[in-house]
Amino acid sequence: MTELSAVAESDLQGIRDLDIDDVLAYVHSDLKRLPDYTELYRRYLRQRWDVYDLDFTQDALDWRERMTQDERDAFVGVSAGFHHGERQVEVELPVFMLGGSEESKIYMSSQIEDEARHTVFFDRFYREVVGMPGDSVQDVLDASFEHVSETFVGPFGLLAYQADELRRDPEDAAARVRYGTTYFLWIEGVLALSVMKITLTYCRRRGFLPGYYTGFTATCRDEARHVQFGMRFLRDSVREDPRLLLQIHETLRTILAINGATSRTLALEALGWSADEVRRLMIRQLKMKLVDVGIALAPDIEEMVTRIEPELAGG
Amino acid sequence: MPTPIRFFTPEWAEAARAAADAGPAQEGKLPSYWSWIERARAGYTARWALGLREAGAYLVLTWKDGRCVEGVIAPDPGDAEYVLAADEATWQDLRDGADPGRIVMYRRLRLERGDVLAFFRVIYFFVESLATLSRVAATPRP
Repeated sequence: MTELSAVAESDLQGIRDLDIDDVLAYVHSDLKRLPDYTELYRRYLRQRWDVYDLDFTQDALDWRERMTQDERDAFVGVSAGFHHGERQVEVELPVFMLGGSEESKIYMSSQIEDEARHTVFFDRFYREVVGMPGDSVQDVLDASFEHVSETFVGPFGLLAYQADELRRDPEDAAARVRYGTTYFLWIEGVLALSVMKITLTYCRRRGFLPGYYTGFTATCRDEARHVQFGMRFLRDSVREDPRLLLQIHETLRTILAINGATSRTLALEALGWSADEVRRLMIRQLKMKLVDVGIALAPDIEEMVTRIEPELAGG
Repeated sequence: MPTPIRFFTPEWAEAARAAADAGPAQEGKLPSYWSWIERARAGYTARWALGLREAGAYLVLTWKDGRCVEGVIAPDPGDAEYVLAADEATWQDLRDGADPGRIVMYRRLRLERGDVLAFFRVIYFFVESLATLSRVAATPRP
């Protein structure tokens, strides 16, 4: 079995043995071909996993006894952006499902379920490993919010307001493309995959947090479908109406403008990363997707891309 | 300690304007964050109408060349470029120190009119201005 087919076919037990680089290669392997929505939905049915099958017993031990305080602080800081990001996209996605083809709607139902499951994954991790208190999902979100950077509201607040815009007319092609650029290209395709690479590489190198590694690697495999859906949606939208490329550009100008603000120091060194490495990772994630699906950028946006600041969140 | 003024009155609007114009205390976050906000604010010209749903009224703030030059209470948003609205409980939570970014994220303050992308190009300037003006000491409306 090749590495990529192992990624595609592994059950939850097998996912624990996968390397995150192979999963990231799997995310990009189909970007040139871009499977249709029904194929992605069928893949979801094969790859769906049960978040309650994960065992965090060893993770709790690692957290208390093997990880340093610096590592714990950095890990919580990085993963809090994902905890809230998953919640946010779970809430904002249904409005996108109201528009598009029937195949798109069917596929989108699976992505909403994925995002809800990912929210539960982080809820379990924060309760059972980090030890955050709470009787409800909201309680745990409230407890972890202090670790979320102030600049989180940039991309995720933008998505919330774009969802409101889309709610007024779910078939508005320009609004769908603007929403899709923020969500599928930036949040899923750049922010999420970068955080996955950082935290999962750390876990694998150090041999820590096997429950987190398993669940988050499975989450990353889910992201492959999400990114491929999103890139197909953007590519097809521009093919149908080339003027929509301007909507992608305007959205990217906004996203990259707000990316320049950083409110907190990210303790990346404790996880084995430098700010420059994260910057390069984010630029690479963005460019791979744009090149593979043939979305060209205006020169001023190319220039903004070179100045991307490390930003750790996802959904 | 200043005597609280009544929320959503002309006196409060002027105090909110002055607070927004003075800007946030630049502390607790990286200097680059405050620099970003200063760049966003420099030359900023627009009108925000911030609504209180139960009252059917708006705090209309006029920004001109980076200064907040007027703050009035109005029954409608007029020609404001950005119209946002929240209920009384949300405004109360903001007065009590709730995170304004989270208020936006949870859509408790909604953008009812205005270009979403243009609005977000100054989002941290907006969020910090909202935090500053909403914490002006005020007694609830009767």
